[in-house]
Amino acid sequence: MNPMNQTTLHPYSRSVSIIGVGCTPFMYTLDNPETAGLTEGELFGYAAYKAMEDAGIGPKDVDYFFHGQATPFNGSNYITPNMQVSEWFGMRGKGSIHHSEACCTGYLALEQAVNAVASGKYNVVLSGCVEFGDAIADPDKPAHFRKKFDDQLFQESLKWIYDRAYTRAMMCGPNLHQDDGAAWYQAEYGLTDEEMDETLISIGLNSRKSASKNPLALARKTYEELAKENGYDDVMEYMKSFFNPKMTGYLRASGLELKCDGAAALIVCPTEMASQFTDKKPIEVLGIGNATREANQPHVELLGTREAVRQVYELTGVKPEEIDLLMANDFFITSQLIAAEETGYLPRGEGWKYFIEGRTSYDGDKPINTNGGRCSFGHAHAASGLADIYEAVMQMRGACGERNVKKLPKTSMIRGFGGAQNLAAIILRTKE
Amino acid sequence: MGVKLEKIVKTYYDKLAEGKIMARKCKDCGAVEWPPLLGCNTCGSTEMEWIEISGKATLVQFVMPSPITRKPEMDFIKPYALGVVDLPEGPSVNVMVRGIDRKNKDIVREQMPVACHATIVEKEDYHTVIFDLDVVPEGKKRERKPKAE
Ligand SMILES: [Zn+2]
Repeated sequence: MNPMNQTTLHPYSRSVSIIGVGCTPFMYTLDNPETAGLTEGELFGYAAYKAMEDAGIGPKDVDYFFHGQATPFNGSNYITPNMQVSEWFGMRGKGSIHHSEACCTGYLALEQAVNAVASGKYNVVLSGCVEFGDAIADPDKPAHFRKKFDDQLFQESLKWIYDRAYTRAMMCGPNLHQDDGAAWYQAEYGLTDEEMDETLISIGLNSRKSASKNPLALARKTYEELAKENGYDDVMEYMKSFFNPKMTGYLRASGLELKCDGAAALIVCPTEMASQFTDKKPIEVLGIGNATREANQPHVELLGTREAVRQVYELTGVKPEEIDLLMANDFFITSQLIAAEETGYLPRGEGWKYFIEGRTSYDGDKPINTNGGRCSFGHAHAASGLADIYEAVMQMRGACGERNVKKLPKTSMIRGFGGAQNLAAIILRTKE
Repeated sequence: MGVKLEKIVKTYYDKLAEGKIMARKCKDCGAVEWPPLLGCNTCGSTEMEWIEISGKATLVQFVMPSPITRKPEMDFIKPYALGVVDLPEGPSVNVMVRGIDRKNKDIVREQMPVACHATIVEKEDYHTVIFDLDVVPEGKKRERKPKAE
């Protein structure tokens, strides 16, 4: 296997905490007359104002903001998208920058903001992401004119994340990643086809159960309900039926992202300043590991995750058994399994059983993706990472109502993944 | 000494058109980059030399194409699988592997890892590299399910 470079992280120059979070519902805006025609400024602005309100601050308190969007040119017909939203949440004249790491954008949005505060340059930083994954710009008309980002166009756009020197020409990298994790896992641990299928189905069942209780989630009808509606008493039988066809070698429809529209934002500040703004306990960012691996390289997600996780554990000294909640970008649902074992949240080679036993739903003892994840909560590409961080923060505050996990999470691991491919491993801890 | 501004990508494709598969070998640590790059990712050196690779490889993993990964522009290399190969020169790479279909995939899987070799194929405006199994096992006849009445 090609050797991978490793990075040693150093402690932040000062401790940084999340003090506010905001998130829109994830939605197909065009499908609902109430939301059809919503624009970039409105979605980003809503999430940003919600995050400020949550932090107990206003626009005047924010020193700087980061903007993330996976495909601003395609989705919004912008190449400086930070500029196009800044006046929609009171930032006229303030400094900002745009960044884009495809589906990892929202995770690295936290990285950007934390670095900016830890350096000492800014005290209060907002970081937000918006994506129209379903309702893309109609370039020649005002922003509320939008059109469906149909599947053919989406497939066409996916190639933009792959290397043009070799990877696209060699044809494999862009097409292998959907099934690479499952193929590797099955071979490594000797699962039968049946066991692998039931594992991936179960991940979807657990996630949909969590999403069913989440008002921000896109798909909230449980598979049990869908099974009944279609005449099945046994949900597993329904999940293996033509109602849930295999779309790849391993993934059924229930294991693929629901690309949609949405935005999310957060506010960070020096931990010692948090009490100036809010009574809520600050959520300290203990560390963020980050690795990249190009799509021509074998096992991109697996080995990239391994390195990002190694970095953050080494920096923080946190042990896997201290992790109370795992959030993992799962545009292919296999990612929950890969991320859970690579972070040590579930034991290697045994993780699949936890999913089948239903232990990873919000009410299980090993909760994962309690917002529902990309295949149920929805996937507004750049915004999804921040939506995961939003969820972790709300869970750690015990603010998720009936779907709050049983044991209040004190430490969360958030695994970012995206963009052929960036990997991130974030550890958050409630500051007592 | 030091990095040179040179056309690595164009050289690679020009050589493919001549039937040669080129890589870059690090003069300092001996690591090989294939496909070729400016410098060495193993030791960081920029002292690289062009070498021709043997084309030999070992297939260590594959998955079959599926409704969302099967692309019309890939039809010309059918039947194929999406694989990971290890080259004796060092690199491991995700590549297309020809010679695996629904009938023989289980036989190939039982035989893994299996020997394969690089083949240069022509696309519309350039050449690229795929891999062929050294021995393509004959597939089992698929049992036909009786038609439902
Ligand atoms: Zn070297």
